[in-house]
Amino acid sequence: MKKQIPNLAGGMFLILLLVFPLVYSKGDYDYIMHIMITGFFYAILAASWSMLSGYAGQFSFGHMGFMAIGAYTTGLFCHYFYISPEPTGLCTEMGFFGQYLIVVNPIGVTSTTLTQDCLRQAMDVWGDTVKVTPMPVFLGILLGTIMGGFAGFLVGMLVLRLRAAYLALFTLGFSEILKATISAEINITRGQAGLELPPLYPDGITLLGHYYGPTAKLPPYYTMLGLLLICLLILTWLARSKFGLFVRALREDQDAAAALGVNTVRYKVLVFTVTCAMAAAAGAVQGHYVQIITPNMLFLLQMSLVVAMAVIGGIENFVAAAIGAIILQVVLELLRNSFVIGGVEVDMTIWRLVIFGLLLMITLRFFRNGLIAPIIAFFGREGVAEETVAKRSAGSQEAGS
Amino acid sequence: MLFFGVVIWMIVWSIIGSIMIKRRYLARDLDTSNANFMGAMAGAALGPVGIAALWSRTPTKSGYLTVGLGLLTVLIVAVTFSFADPENICVTSGGFVASQFVNGLIIGIIYGFMALGLSLIFSILGVVSFAHGEFYMIGGMSVYYITAVWFPGVSPLIGVMGACAIAFVLGAVFERLMLTPMYHGKIDRPVEYGILVTFGLAFTLQYFVQATAGANPVKVQRYLSFPRWQFPEDGDPVWIKTSRGSLTLFDQVSISSPRLTAALTCIFVLLALLYLLHRTWTGKALRAVSQDREGAAIAGINPDRMNMLAFALGGMIAALAGALLVQAFSWLPQVGAIPAMRSFVIVVLGGLGSLPGAFLGGIMVGMVEAAGTGCVPDAQKAASYIPAYGMIVLTLTLLLRPTGMFGRRFASSTHGQH
Amino acid sequence: MTNFKLLTATAVGAIMASGSVFAADCPIKIGGMAPLSAPGTVVGGEAMRDAMLLAEADINAAGGVLGCDIEVVIGDTEGLPEKGTALMEKFITQDGVVAVGGGYHSSVGVASKDVANARGVPVVFAETWNDTITGDKQKYVFRIAPLSSWASSTIWQYVLTIPGIKKVAILTENTDYGIPAAEETKAGLATGGIETSVYSIDIGTQDYAGIVERIKADRPDMIITLATGEAGYNFAQQAADAGIGPMDVPFVASQVSLESKAYWENVPDGNYAFVQRIGVPESMFTDEGKAFAAAYKEKTGKGAVESYAMEAYDSIAILAQAINEAGSTDGDAIVAALEGIQHNGTLGKIFFPYGTGKAPSEDGHGDEWWHQWPDVALTMIQYQEEGENSGEATIVFPDAYKTGDAIIVTE
Repeated sequence: MKKQIPNLAGGMFLILLLVFPLVYSKGDYDYIMHIMITGFFYAILAASWSMLSGYAGQFSFGHMGFMAIGAYTTGLFCHYFYISPEPTGLCTEMGFFGQYLIVVNPIGVTSTTLTQDCLRQAMDVWGDTVKVTPMPVFLGILLGTIMGGFAGFLVGMLVLRLRAAYLALFTLGFSEILKATISAEINITRGQAGLELPPLYPDGITLLGHYYGPTAKLPPYYTMLGLLLICLLILTWLARSKFGLFVRALREDQDAAAALGVNTVRYKVLVFTVTCAMAAAAGAVQGHYVQIITPNMLFLLQMSLVVAMAVIGGIENFVAAAIGAIILQVVLELLRNSFVIGGVEVDMTIWRLVIFGLLLMITLRFFRNGLIAPIIAFFGREGVAEETVAKRSAGSQEAGS
Repeated sequence: MLFFGVVIWMIVWSIIGSIMIKRRYLARDLDTSNANFMGAMAGAALGPVGIAALWSRTPTKSGYLTVGLGLLTVLIVAVTFSFADPENICVTSGGFVASQFVNGLIIGIIYGFMALGLSLIFSILGVVSFAHGEFYMIGGMSVYYITAVWFPGVSPLIGVMGACAIAFVLGAVFERLMLTPMYHGKIDRPVEYGILVTFGLAFTLQYFVQATAGANPVKVQRYLSFPRWQFPEDGDPVWIKTSRGSLTLFDQVSISSPRLTAALTCIFVLLALLYLLHRTWTGKALRAVSQDREGAAIAGINPDRMNMLAFALGGMIAALAGALLVQAFSWLPQVGAIPAMRSFVIVVLGGLGSLPGAFLGGIMVGMVEAAGTGCVPDAQKAASYIPAYGMIVLTLTLLLRPTGMFGRRFASSTHGQH
Repeated sequence: MTNFKLLTATAVGAIMASGSVFAADCPIKIGGMAPLSAPGTVVGGEAMRDAMLLAEADINAAGGVLGCDIEVVIGDTEGLPEKGTALMEKFITQDGVVAVGGGYHSSVGVASKDVANARGVPVVFAETWNDTITGDKQKYVFRIAPLSSWASSTIWQYVLTIPGIKKVAILTENTDYGIPAAEETKAGLATGGIETSVYSIDIGTQDYAGIVERIKADRPDMIITLATGEAGYNFAQQAADAGIGPMDVPFVASQVSLESKAYWENVPDGNYAFVQRIGVPESMFTDEGKAFAAAYKEKTGKGAVESYAMEAYDSIAILAQAINEAGSTDGDAIVAALEGIQHNGTLGKIFFPYGTGKAPSEDGHGDEWWHQWPDVALTMIQYQEEGENSGEATIVFPDAYKTGDAIIVTE
């Protein structure tokens, strides 16, 4: 019975998350929902990162890079491509089945509203007579996910020979180059000014007879939560299958695994592709939710947040990492308020991050499996295969000695 | 157009070369560690001819050949560039090239010196310290606080020494508290643990300084002001001219006083460090530990103590670089991020754990960045891409020759090569 | 503190006119946006925070608003557009603010204004220059900062008055403040036949040696810096080290150079630099301006008051007056009050001539004049003595405010 406790608790937590938007009704509803959605976003990143780095041992610092690939793919796609029944005569366009695919020219960052791209100019001439259709957001997110997975595949192929510190540095370099490129190519990406994206549901959505506008929080909440659950399911399925076993073998001793006939190349590339696609999907959905993306989401600080969340949750257990991310995101937001001790004002906007850093180090030093994973492990131990139990207990004895 | 055509040609052949030569060496059961790089260079420099020649005379692999081919590649790129863009200032103005070269060299020496600390830590502990940039930041901040806030008017020399002392103690304490468990196999994956825990330190330090010192940019006055002087008195061009803040050579190359003093100090400290490592017992013990941990322990060296010394020393080197550059740059809590990244590039290029490699790598990275900012034709973008130049070097090195220029394989599994 | 007597007077007047006292929730909350951590420009953000908190204290000392105290809720935008939208959301839904003031980075302003507008909460932006902020003609969005196109014109018009300038180099940050400003300046300079080359940089850049050499090889007759934050300091000092600093060529330094103490610490060789300044010289300050300057200097220990601090102060004070005049904290009522307001601010008399009542196009103006204070005084100052205070520095342009002749270092 004991081993069911984490499942029960997990189920309760999930039900709580599912009904939360329906029962919560305080004035700060939108703000709390915003924190939760961002929490789910970080949870997807932390879970996929812990699969890649903790479970498979491919220590990557480029996870935010893949996230950005997802976000910028859909952002650029929705920003530059439109479908129109009439040719504009100004843009690059391509006819098919009586419709025209319009590629809008980049106008860069301008300060006035007078400079307009070719499509806006054409629309001014048309007035209301022609209805231009933007690209479906869903297609953009799908493209973003595929691009992220593809980039993960490529990086996975490139880093086959690299391990540990070398891999960390390579992925860091990848992420930095991406950031510099996005910042510098202002004409296309709009750089630091930020690329604006259409909302997740541009026309709003009707759920159970209730209409939610494009800026309502409930639809993106369930979208992001759904994405998180899908990712966790895929990760669980992978971890329980042969894949999980091989991937762990990769982590423990790559050469031995290869000698035993594990196709290390295939699994290494696969784990990169899958986890990076997840990061990209999260980035794409988050991009449409906040409606603006900047290269600053590649800031090393953002990556360190994900790493810290995964570590504090439990680096080798992606469910724990996800839960850790949600909890930490909420706590970090709520800690923003400053307070006064003995006449000295403590500016919590910064001190909370100091505390966070200390917590990260203490967790690493004394609670190597994170703070949440051991709780799950404690109750769920009976369900774990015998050899793992033996190994874990041996490990903990040694650590305790 | 011509330039990009040639570059694409070179890239294609270098990829083909790296794959084919690697295969060839693999098939013959030869050492493949360098084959990738050599193949790529042969392909880039001589195209199919180079690859074919290398292919047919397979076991001719040598360091000289590789370096020669590499230099040839650089030369070809440079020549094509000058033909493709004859108006470019890098082609037309020798004085400009000289000044960019000197600038790259000087800043390269300083960053190479800083990266040396990172390499030292790696060679002993097997950890890539992600807090290296924060030690740099602490160094600069300490000098500012010592010379401008706590004891105004005190000599900058005391400030610099104080900064080194603070960083040394900080490094030693952190190592004792946080890094000790990774030495004795108590942790499954010590390399990752080391990265994460130094990452945590970086995070904490940066925000701690921001919370206590604020986020206003601060700066220290230059340590040394030159007198107004020139030699020869009425030459044309004047060979050397100095004014308060800078020194000008041949009316072309100007070097600012902060950078010059920083680079000279770095060279001086580097020599002292080499003396320490090669002539004193402690230094020899350090090197012994980096070569063979168990062996050193048998010989009566306490490896744990050497770990502490190496980490503290490495942090101190970064702090010294910061303490010297705080007179050149405005200082903020997040100032360490860029030099930290650059240090990663340098140590990888030079070979993780190699001290001469770090120094030489520093100079090369300084040059690449100077060439990048100076010669990229589009002025609008040249500077925007500054952060990327070094990272491109990093990724290329890791792909072609992960051990870097002077890399060696470490015996111990703690060094990230299982 | 005369303006607060006036404020109270208007408040009493408003209450008597409307004939009823509102039972608003006390305290009335007003949001204050400022970048307080990196990658935002923290120097600017902290100055704005201090100014807005001073505004809060002053207004409360003068009796508050609608019988309540006000509370300025400070929020950190981090200089990131996405944080800006989240912050705006937090202000409105979590803190329950009735209006928002402050704002530094243009990109944050552009992104967050939509949230406020969609929710019907009035915003008075203090230091966001990008023209689109008002150019979108949103009902709830006001601005007292100058327009970017207009601010750039002060610089280029001034440059045109200096004889012998043929070639100008502009160093700009690659953001939506820097890029459009650089383009506008370039276009303006071209009208006088001046050739311009633009160098854009990433804000985090520290080492400018390479780019400085490149600019130097170009031999410009003048250099203009359009980069905020420490980038402005780093560039100016490194240019000075290389012999093309403010003491060698006419040099327009960045906005942050107005913070004189930090400027002289970070750019010791920065004498003779020109800086663009918003607002009239300190000697011509209004009474409100003088009172604020004194209080601000005492609170922060700074030698001079920066223009963005004054804008931030005014953005809060004008909202307080508007709430009083509206007699309610309702967004539409505040907007109506703002459109008809005559506010005696630290920067001068603030009013918004164009809005729902009168479109800017009626006077032949562009859309960006919507809800825009048209009377911002823009001046060019020049530091002419080492360690000089920006408030006391010589004003060299325009003639209306001129206090002395410029020293052109190349002559």
